[in-house]
Amino acid sequence: MTQSSLSSPPQYRYQLVLNNVTKRYGDNSVVDNLSFTVEPGRVTGFLGPNGSGKSTTMKILLDLASAKHGTATIGGRRYRDLPNPAGTVGVVLEPNAFHPGRSGRNHLRILAQAVGQTAGRVDEALAEVGLSSEAARRRVSTYSLGMKQRLSLAGALLADPPVLVLDEPANGLDPQGIRELRDLLRARAARGHTVLVSSHLLAEVQHLVDDIVVINQGRLMTTGPVASLTQSAAVVRTPSPQQLTEHLAAKGADVEPDESGALVVTGLDLEQIGDTAYTAGITLHELSAQADSLEDLFMSLTTPTETVPTPAPITKETVLS
Amino acid sequence: MSSINLLRSELRKVATTSMPWSFLAVLVVLAVTNGVAVAVGTDMDGSKSFIATGADQLSLMAFAANAVMIAGLFGAIAAAREYAHNTVIATYLNTPSRPRALAAQFTAIAAGGAVLGLLGAGLTIGAVAASLPLTDYGFMASFVGVAQVLAASTWAGAAGAVLGAGIGTIIRNTGGAVAGTVVALIIAPPLVVQLASGADPWFVPGTLAVVASGVADHTSTISAVVALAAWAIVPASAALLSVQRRDVV
Repeated sequence: MTQSSLSSPPQYRYQLVLNNVTKRYGDNSVVDNLSFTVEPGRVTGFLGPNGSGKSTTMKILLDLASAKHGTATIGGRRYRDLPNPAGTVGVVLEPNAFHPGRSGRNHLRILAQAVGQTAGRVDEALAEVGLSSEAARRRVSTYSLGMKQRLSLAGALLADPPVLVLDEPANGLDPQGIRELRDLLRARAARGHTVLVSSHLLAEVQHLVDDIVVINQGRLMTTGPVASLTQSAAVVRTPSPQQLTEHLAAKGADVEPDESGALVVTGLDLEQIGDTAYTAGITLHELSAQADSLEDLFMSLTTPTETVPTPAPITKETVLS
Repeated sequence: MSSINLLRSELRKVATTSMPWSFLAVLVVLAVTNGVAVAVGTDMDGSKSFIATGADQLSLMAFAANAVMIAGLFGAIAAAREYAHNTVIATYLNTPSRPRALAAQFTAIAAGGAVLGLLGAGLTIGAVAASLPLTDYGFMASFVGVAQVLAASTWAGAAGAVLGAGIGTIIRNTGGAVAGTVVALIIAPPLVVQLASGADPWFVPGTLAVVASGVADHTSTISAVVALAAWAIVPASAALLSVQRRDVV
């Protein structure tokens, strides 16, 4: 998968904003008062267990489903009010949204024709996702899941849109395909594009995304930079552990020595610890983050326990404070 | 996005699957059957009076009633498959105005139905004409009569396709759409006629198609043409209303 290195001018930077979005089917709330923001220039992972409302939320954002309450906007406008919606937002929603008897190329030519793109652009999009001309001539029914994902992605990239909304785009891709997808999305974010991607591959997401939005049962569990949300503690090595412990404790941190003699500090971030040591004139030999895996964070937020019912929503601010 | 681009995209959608070829095969089979009937078939008395006059031959060539049914199934399958294969997602993403998207889709399907109707009539006329030299009768149908048969079949095909597409869009399931179209075109009209005693059966789509072809006179040709259009417009309008607020799931 290849990509251009041109960056988007500011007027083509689109923020996705969901504000108190609620969707109900009968008495069942699929999306419950959901609010979050997706920033341009960053890759945002949209995470949640099966049936948590991710796909429905994406469909509301794209005007494929209607919300009972709340608004979902792209650059301040509803999808349907965008001047060129398909040219603004590239979408992968369903893994099998193809007529099986149609060739991959014809599938793309239909999409291209609808948005005023040329047949030449179809070839470029096929090359971007690594689908050969021979494969493009074949019927989609002969494609593997990974090839279908590549074809879906080619459709999303046809108009070179500044926003990508991708539902499980890595499903079925081989390791090389996943790496290419990661490079492609990172490159687009570097150009100032907005990328919202849902995935179940948490280890992969941790390498791919800058920010995450975690939902469960249609509710926001947490949102923020993945580095901040997964940082559980700081590891500090110093020749003056006793002295540093006193200074950090005075600032409200919990400090515990580990078996190697390092201090494990919680309650302060890396900058605050470094500043405290500097002010106190204490030499540091190591100051590093001890990070949980994204999987640990995800499980802690989405696994129901008998003693703790549904966790209260955690916002970016509460996590960072 | 221009409406022309949208329509071209929908036309490509109709033309790039094997479905039109399957329907074309059905038309060929029907035409060959007609040709064989002309060549070897007889009336009950052993004569060939069913091709003895120009009017008889036109009746045999009038394909419009078949065109309504065949194009109806074509439209129903084409529209319902959009939902079955989730390709409707791309359609509505490209054109968030659903009435506009549906109008383009129905126009393309109507064009497909019209082509099927025209080809069906053309193949049937060709088969009959090719078989007549094998009998004692020549080709006696008038040029105007043949032209009307072709035009009526084209119109009936377009109307039937839109009717089927409307039903397919409402039902969204291929099997259900096919069943619904069969009910609407074949089963329901005679039932209505039976239930409403004294009702004139002229409004049955097959009858309207025959009248439009100029080989029956239950009502005027113009009335038949308009009534056929109404048969298409009613389900198409219902489909437009049904997609307005329904989620794509």
